[in-house]
Formats: sequence, C-alpha cells, structure tokens
Amino acid sequence: MEKEKNVKHISKDARKWFLGYLKKYYFKLGFALLLVTFSAALSFVNPKVLGLIVDEVIGDGVNINTEKLPLYVGIMLGCTLIASCIRWLRNFIFETASQDMLFDMREGVYKNLMQKDFAFYNKNRTGDLMSRQTGDMQAIRHCVAYVIYNMYECTLLFFAAVIMIFTVNAKMGALMLIPVPFTIICIILQSRAIKPKFAKIRDRFSSLNAFVQENISGNRVVRAFAKEDYEISKFNKENDGYREAETDAATVWVKFMPIFEVISASFSVILLVVGGYMVINKTMSLGQFIMVNGYLWMLNNPLHMFGWLVNDYYRFIASVEKIYNTISAKPDIMTPRYPADVKKIKGNIEFKNVSYTIEDEDVLHDVSFKVKAGETIGIIGATGAGKSTIMNLICRFFDATEGEVLVDGVNVKDLNLHTLRDGIGMAMQDVFLFSDTIEGNIAYAKPDCPFEKVKWAAELAEADGFIMEMADGYDTIVGERGVGLSGGQKQRISLARAILKEPSVIILDDTTSAVDMETESHIQVALNALKNETKFIIAHRISSIIGADQIFVLDGGRIVESGNHEELLAKKGYYYTVFNHQYGDFNNIRSLYATDKGVK
Amino acid sequence: MARNKYDIDEELEEKFDLKNVKRLKKYLTPYRKTFALTIFMMALSSVLSIGFLLVMKDGIQVIEEYVNKSLYTKDYVLKRVVIDALIIIGITVVNAFFQSKKITLTTKIGQGVIHSLRYDIFEHLQQLPFSYYDDKPHGKIQVRVVNYVNELSDLLSNGIVNTITDMFSLIFIIIIMFALNVKFALIAMCGLPILIVAIAFVKTKQRRGWRLSSNKTSNLNAYISESINGIRVTQSFVREEENEEIFRRLNNDSRKYWMKAVIYNFMLGPIVDFITTVTTLAIYVWAIYMMIGGVFGITVALLTTFSGYISRFWAPITTMANFYNSMMTAVSYLERIFGTIDEPVIVRDVKDAIDMPKIVGNVAFKDVSFSYEDNVKILSDINFSVKAGESVAIVGPTGAGKTTIVNLISRFYNLDSGLLTIDDIDISKVKLKSLRSQMGIMMQDSFIFSGTIMDNIRYGNMDATDEEVIAAAKTVCAHDFIEKLEDGYNTEVNERGSRLSAGQRQLISFARAILADPKILILDEATSSIDTETEILLQKGLARLLEGRTSFIIAHRLSTIKNSNCIMYIDDGRIVEKGTHDELMKNPDGKYYKLYMSQYDFLAK
Repeated sequence: MEKEKNVKHISKDARKWFLGYLKKYYFKLGFALLLVTFSAALSFVNPKVLGLIVDEVIGDGVNINTEKLPLYVGIMLGCTLIASCIRWLRNFIFETASQDMLFDMREGVYKNLMQKDFAFYNKNRTGDLMSRQTGDMQAIRHCVAYVIYNMYECTLLFFAAVIMIFTVNAKMGALMLIPVPFTIICIILQSRAIKPKFAKIRDRFSSLNAFVQENISGNRVVRAFAKEDYEISKFNKENDGYREAETDAATVWVKFMPIFEVISASFSVILLVVGGYMVINKTMSLGQFIMVNGYLWMLNNPLHMFGWLVNDYYRFIASVEKIYNTISAKPDIMTPRYPADVKKIKGNIEFKNVSYTIEDEDVLHDVSFKVKAGETIGIIGATGAGKSTIMNLICRFFDATEGEVLVDGVNVKDLNLHTLRDGIGMAMQDVFLFSDTIEGNIAYAKPDCPFEKVKWAAELAEADGFIMEMADGYDTIVGERGVGLSGGQKQRISLARAILKEPSVIILDDTTSAVDMETESHIQVALNALKNETKFIIAHRISSIIGADQIFVLDGGRIVESGNHEELLAKKGYYYTVFNHQYGDFNNIRSLYATDKGVK
Repeated sequence: MARNKYDIDEELEEKFDLKNVKRLKKYLTPYRKTFALTIFMMALSSVLSIGFLLVMKDGIQVIEEYVNKSLYTKDYVLKRVVIDALIIIGITVVNAFFQSKKITLTTKIGQGVIHSLRYDIFEHLQQLPFSYYDDKPHGKIQVRVVNYVNELSDLLSNGIVNTITDMFSLIFIIIIMFALNVKFALIAMCGLPILIVAIAFVKTKQRRGWRLSSNKTSNLNAYISESINGIRVTQSFVREEENEEIFRRLNNDSRKYWMKAVIYNFMLGPIVDFITTVTTLAIYVWAIYMMIGGVFGITVALLTTFSGYISRFWAPITTMANFYNSMMTAVSYLERIFGTIDEPVIVRDVKDAIDMPKIVGNVAFKDVSFSYEDNVKILSDINFSVKAGESVAIVGPTGAGKTTIVNLISRFYNLDSGLLTIDDIDISKVKLKSLRSQMGIMMQDSFIFSGTIMDNIRYGNMDATDEEVIAAAKTVCAHDFIEKLEDGYNTEVNERGSRLSAGQRQLISFARAILADPKILILDEATSSIDTETEILLQKGLARLLEGRTSFIIAHRLSTIKNSNCIMYIDDGRIVEKGTHDELMKNPDGKYYKLYMSQYDFLAK
C-alpha cells in the first residue's frame, strides 16, 4: 500500500516534469489543434458540394444546368487545396513541436546526467542510462507528434457527432450517450491493465540495451575466454524477455479491443432498434432517422481508435516515468548555494580526521595530514588501502563521512565545485580516452587552446615522441577508451591532459605503472620543474615517489607511516620492506655486474 | 579504414539497393503461414464489414419502406429490425475476434522477425575482429542491435499485412470500377501516373534524407554513450559545459535532419488527397457533358455509386504509399543492420578446422610478421620457441609490440606471414573456441561485468564450484579484500568496476584467468596496479601456479619477471635480445641491462 502510494506520487511529479517541457509549445500545439478542427470541418465540404452538383447541376438528368458547375468545381478544388495545405502544416507543426521538445528534453536529461555524482554512476548501468536518451525519448516523441492530435480529433469528432444528433433529435442524442460511460470504464480498466505491462517493456528494453552495451565494451574479454556461446545464450534470454514483454502487452490489448468494437457497434444497434421503434411510432421522422445514420461513422470511428490511443498513451507514460525516475534523484554533491568567495585555489590541502565509509565498509579511517602549496606528496600502500579515495575526496567526488577536507583552509563542501575541480589536474588510474584525435584528448580541459600548448603538455608527459611517430601525429583518432594505444601511451596522454590544465594541484593516480623506468624518470624531471603546483603521486614503485617532500604509507584506510624517503627507511616499517623488495639486491647487482662493466 | 569518432558520419554506398529489402525475405519466410492466415482473416473481416453495412442498410430500408410505402406490418418491421440488430452484434463479435486475432498474429510476426534479426546481428558481432570495435564508437554499434531493429517491428508485421490486404481490396475495387463503367474507371486511373511521378520525385530526396538522419542519430547515440562512460574525466576536468555544447550541436543535427527527411513523408498524403478530388471532379464534369450529349447509360445513380468507389480506390493506395514511406525510413536502418551482418569475419575457423587437442604447451613463432594497417609493420620476423612449462617474459618500451605478440598466440589477429604453432599445430588451422578456451588471458584492461564478484571470476570457467572460485581468488591474493566487502563474493559490481580499485580489478581478472586452469597463461601487465606487498605474496602463489604451464608475462616491474626461463626484449617489432636474466645481465651494453639498471638510477643520484 505504502509502495503504491509512492509510485503514484512519482507519477504526479513525472507528469509535472513532462508538462514543464510541453508548456513551451502550448501555443503551437493549440494552433495545430485548431488546424485539426478546420481540416475536420473541411472534410464535410466536398461530399456536400458533390451533393449540390448532383442536385443543382444534373437535377433529373435531363435538364442539365452547367451554369453553377465551374463554381462548384472551383470550390472543391479550392477546399481540397486548402485542406491539403492545412494538413501539411498541421503535420509540420506537430512534428516540429515534438522535435523541439525532444531537443529540449534530451538536453535537459544530458545536463542532468552531467551533474550526477559518482554514487549515481556506480548504481546505474551505461546501457540503462542510454535507453533513457534513446528508446524512451522516442516514445515521448511519438506521443507528442501523433497521439495528442489523434486523441483530440477523436474526441472532437465524437462530440461533434453527438451535438449534431442532438440538434436533429434530442432523444436520439441522449441515447447515443449511453455507451459513453461504458467506454470510460473500459478505458480505465485497460489503462490499469496495460500500465504495468509497458513499465515491464521499458525495463526489459533497458536491460537488453545494458546487456548489449556491456558485451560490446567487454568484447575483448569475451573473445579471450571464448565465451561467445555463453554470451549468446545470455543474450537470448534478454532478447526473449523483451519479446515476451511486448507480446504480453499485446495480450491485454487483444482482450480489450473486442469490447471497444462491440461498444462501437452498439451505436448502430441503438439507432436501428430504438430509432426504428421511434420512427414506427412516429416520435421521430424518417428524415431525422436517415440524418442520424449519416453521423454514425463519426461515433464509430473514434471508438475504434480509443483503444489504440490508450495503448500509445501508456507506452508514453511508462517512458516519462522511467526518465523522470532516473533524473529526479538529487545528487548529494553539488555546489553550495552560497559558495566561498574563491576564484582560484592555491593548493594547500588539509585533511582533519577524515573518515569515509561506504556501505559499512571502512575505506578511510581518521586520516589527517597537511600539505603546503608546491609540495610533492607520495602515497604508497596496499591495493584497496584507500589511496584513490583520498584523491577523490580532494576533488570532492565523494564527501567525507566524518572530518573535514580543506583546500586553502576552506572546507571543500563550501567551495564552488567548478572552482575546486578547475584547480586540480587528475590523471586517473583507469585511463579513459575519448574517441577523438590525440590533440582533442589532450586539450580536453581547454578545447580552444593553441596547438603549442598541447605539444608543450605532451612533451612534459614524454608523449610527444610516440605521438609524432604515428601516421597522423596529433590528428590520429584514438578509439573509445584509447584502443590502439598501449597502456603506457594511454597513461602519458592522460598525464598530458592533466598538465595542460595548468592546475594548482596535480594528481597522478598510479599514472606511470605501465611506463618504463627510463621514461618515468624523464617525466619526473619534467614534473619537478613545475614548482608552484602541489603534486600527489600515487605509486607502487619507490622510484616514482622517492623525491617527494612527504610520503604517506596507507594501510587499511589509515596513514600508518609518513615522512620523507630517508625518514621512512629509518623507521624500518612497511616502506622499508617494500624498498628492500624492490631494490634490496641493488648492492649485489652493483658488485655482480658493475665489475663486468669495469673490466670491459 | 579510417577510425570513426562521434561526429563523423559513416559512409555508405550511395545507390539505392533493393537487395536489403529482399534479404528480409529470409526473416519473413518462417511466418509465411501466419501471414497467410492473418491475411485470410482480414479478408473475412472485410467481408464481414460489408455484411455489417448490408444488414444495416436492410434495417434502414425496411423502416423507410414501412414509412414511405406502408409495405409491412408494424410487428414485422420491428421483428426484422431486431433480427438485423442481433446479426449486427453477431457480426461485430466475430469480426472483433478476427481483429484481435490479427493483433496477436502480427505481434507474433513483428516481434519474431526482430527477434531473429537481432539474434543474427548479435551473433555476428561475437565473431567480428577487434578492429571492428576499435574503429568506431561503441554507441554506434549498440544502436544497431537495439534501436534500429526495434524500429522495424511494426513495419514488418502490420505494414506488410495491411499492404497485402489493401492490395486485394484494390484489385477488387478496380474490377468493380471497370464493371461499372470503363471510361470512368480509366479517368480515375489517370491519377496513378501522377502519383507515381510524385513518388519518384520525392523518393531520391527522401532516401538521402533518411540516410543522413539515421547517421545523425547514430552520432548522437555514440556521444551519449561516451559521455556516460567518460563521466569521471569530464567532471574532474570540468568539461560539462563544453560537452553540453557539443551535445547541443549533435542534438540539433539530429533534429534538423529528421525534419528534413520527414517533410517528404508529409507530402504524400496531401498529394493523394488532391488527386482524389481532381479525378472525382473530372468524372463528374465528363459525365455531365456526356449527359448533355445524350450518351446512353450514364445516370445519377451510377455517378454517385462510382464516386463512392473512387475514395475507396485511393484509400488503399494511401496505405500503400505510407508503407512505402516507412520502407524508405526502414531501408536506412536495414542498410546499417545488414551492413554489420555483412562485415567480414577476418579471424574465423578455416573450412576443415580441427579441434585443438589438449594443449601441452609448446609454442613456436616462425618468421612471424604482422601489421594492423597495411603500411605500418608492428612485428617483423619474430622467431622463438618455448617448451611446455616454460615462462617467457616480454619486455621493452611501450608500443614496441609486446601486447601484439601475446594477442597473436590467442589468434586475435591473423598473421601477415610466418607460422605460429602450439604443440606443432598451426593455430590458424584449429577451431578458435577450442584454442582460446584452453588459454588463460589477462589483459591490460581489466574489464568487469556487472554482476557479483563470484560471477566475474566464474566467467573463466562456468562449471567451477564456489569453492574453486574461492580457491582461485586465494591463489591471486584477492580473497582477503573480497571477504571484507559487505556481501563478500556476492557483492554486486558494475562494468565501470565501481568501488573496486584498479589493483583489485586486476586481481579479479587474474583469478578469472587462472580459474580456466589453462595450459598457456598470458599475463599482460597483470600486476601493474598491485602493491608490492601483495605482489610478493602473489609471486609465491604464482610460482606454484606456473608449474606445468607455459606462461607469457609482460611487465614493467622487472622484479616480476626475473625468474623467467627466458626474457625477450622487444624493440620496434623485433626481438633484439633473448636469454635468461643472468645471461642478459652479462652484456652491459645490452638493452635489458640498461633497462634493469635504470631502476636503480635514482638511487645512484
């Protein structure tokens, strides 16, 4: 019960959200509906004129009077021309309005998605989100372009007919209203039955989409494990599920359609039996009877359509709700209403007793440290110790569960999100490149910057060399996620991308793991030249962080050791062990091989 | 083939080709009987509709005759009217049954056709080479499998049924028209050539229009997909506004080209309307002058009856024109769908491919050369052989071709020249599945599927028990961190591997690779994001693991590979040095020596 109430509540908000977009086009749509009214009215003219031609021109077929013929021909041609134009215009307006609205809506949803925080993206699959922008948008477009006007036309015709019949014979008119309540009940019942079915279709569609999306993204793994057959069998389930949902919805429609048909026929029955009785008993004239018969199609046709329209309408509702549910969740991480007055961050960073917990898992526990602008910080520690989390807290991709993260003495929660992130250049662990040119990827932060700048950043990141060796140099298009580049090349492009931003804080989150030692040492020299920037270097190789002003050793979400290289070695703790493992044989090597070299 | 990005249109052959439409036959044939049944029922339904009108007419006529001519008794008239009403209800019920049956059947056809079309495209995608996926944004591939296919459902069911039904009624009406009056019929038919000319005129533009439009939609989809996948980068680089600008541009293109294409669709309706009026009028005017001339046999009744048929004549033509319209839209989707299905499978089982026998693990490269694109050689004349159970380390600068070498062993690509054998069997002669299922491959990018961690590891071997999965996780030191997650092995993760660090993801895909219990193990940067302490533990487990397996290891951390049986230094697509660690270290001018010593450079400073 509680749940149902909740669903209803959402659907009300969803409607509001949709109408918010439609509002802009009320005038346009209103005008188009007016055109529908006109064209409906015009459709009565031609039969009438043809009747006049028969009556007045041909007459009894002997004394033909062609005097008025050109006039009638002119009227009919004119009317058809006007009707054609109106029809074209009407289609055009509905289509434009629906496309314009779709444009706004897509943009709105896109902007909304851009604002969503990581928590949201961790919950939603890419394919699901894509369905919101593709299939669901199409259902909405269809509704605005076709359903609205058809609904209007049907209702218009129906009530026009009822009114006409009323003017002919009030009793008959009243009788024709008898099926109306049944129609309404039928519509309501159908709506109830069909709504969950369409919601299911949208779910299945989304799920199919998400599955296909993952299969495409993970195609290398699928191949490597020769799991094509397994993927196909999983796909079959999704494909079957979608078909089943569609068929299921059709079953509901199949059940209700005959009822609409019968109701539609009931008008004829009423006329024939009741009307016939009235004519026989002389309470209605034969002429009236014939006239009412002439209007019957206007009652019948809309009823044939109603079932369809209800169907289409709920298809549309299902999509509106789906989109609204996706976008309505407010992100937890937003720029505060009154952000601190900071234009550009300097790079002083402080953690005060910061803890971060997600789903009962202690990721960071009581972490405190202070970094002055321009310092280089090395972070080392076990996989999953919380190294990247510290970086994500600085960029405010997450909010600390406890404690404060301060940048230049201001809590990051009080900063304008853009100012904060503008000041930080992050080369992430998981390099994501866009399917764009290399230049476009490096200049991601400043798409309009001159080429020299791009080259400068690439040189600092030791990427210029291999880029220039490529056939198209900086204009080489890299595939999505940087396919075609080796791991080390991707990392260097990602580093160049961060450098180009000229940030106050540079974060290298394990960015040189796939880069060979020699290249890495060149990169370090280049980075050391950037004096004013605060640098965070997360790494597993001691060589990457040896020159840092401070090194934090993380374990189980806590800073267990800190100090510079020498101090940490002296502590003979975790850092010392790691160092020994990596370089313990240095002295041996020197004695073993250096002598060889000496001999030579 | 040039690589494609989100705002580049994909080129397609310019000529209109009916072959894409013809190919649909394959998908429609299984439903031949269903189609026939549906059309038969629709024919019955039309007969019933006519019956409905006749009965109605009978009722009205009886009443009319009673009033005007006082032919029948009151009771008789009432009885007859009630009987008519009952017949009407009967007809309606039967007709409604047919109509609803039609919906069931057309849904079955429509959904069935797109179901198998989608299966075919998906199945084919599973065979396409990496290059297919590398060269175009994934959003563009995706939209073919899901959205484009969906667009066809209504057309291929209702569209076809209605068109065929209408064709029959059209023939029927034409016969009646000619039977009524040949000259009138000829005049009415005069409209057809006009319509055909109009359609031919619109067709070329319409086709171009839809093609462009589907291109723009594809671009938009590609960008949406990329925007979602790259959201972390976008947010950390504060690129939201620029992206919105690009999105607006693509969104606008999509709208603009849709409108351009759809405008041609709108033209047909009004044209048909106009032709109907003109031909009706022509017949009237002509008849009137005939009457004046005193031509025998032209009566008012004939005229009104005939003009009734003119509108019935054009109604099915309108439906057919609409079908044609939708077909035009559909063709632009079909081209893409079939285009994908036609995409050549480069790496495939040869004709007489045999099953790879159980692999022992001897691998040999003989004069192997390889290039991704025609002009750029990646590997040249690679020669080496590895005995079963040996471990081979591959080192060298980034981009030297290390990953390429191991990719060739799994036959992800075909060789340009040379021979690659496993246990002396040319791997290009064996079935791909039998080859790859015996190898454990861990790639640079550790892709995580959405599902539980258990599922992700089990991907390596679907038949593995939970215990085996856990054992694999323990071997690669992943067990501890997995246990700490709130739901342990049942923790849900998703494709972006949220919540897991890069190192953790590597450990999971490592476990996945060894769960297959492969004879050949390929580790491409398997431990690059793993901390040293875990690595030490891992090394111990690994030593045990590698026993009895041939392994290829690519790593930048040289501590990982020091104990390999053979180390190959690759530079610029060639093996420049080969030997054990100790052997290679004897040559102080060698590349490996330099590489190894460079680790310590910073200590010497």
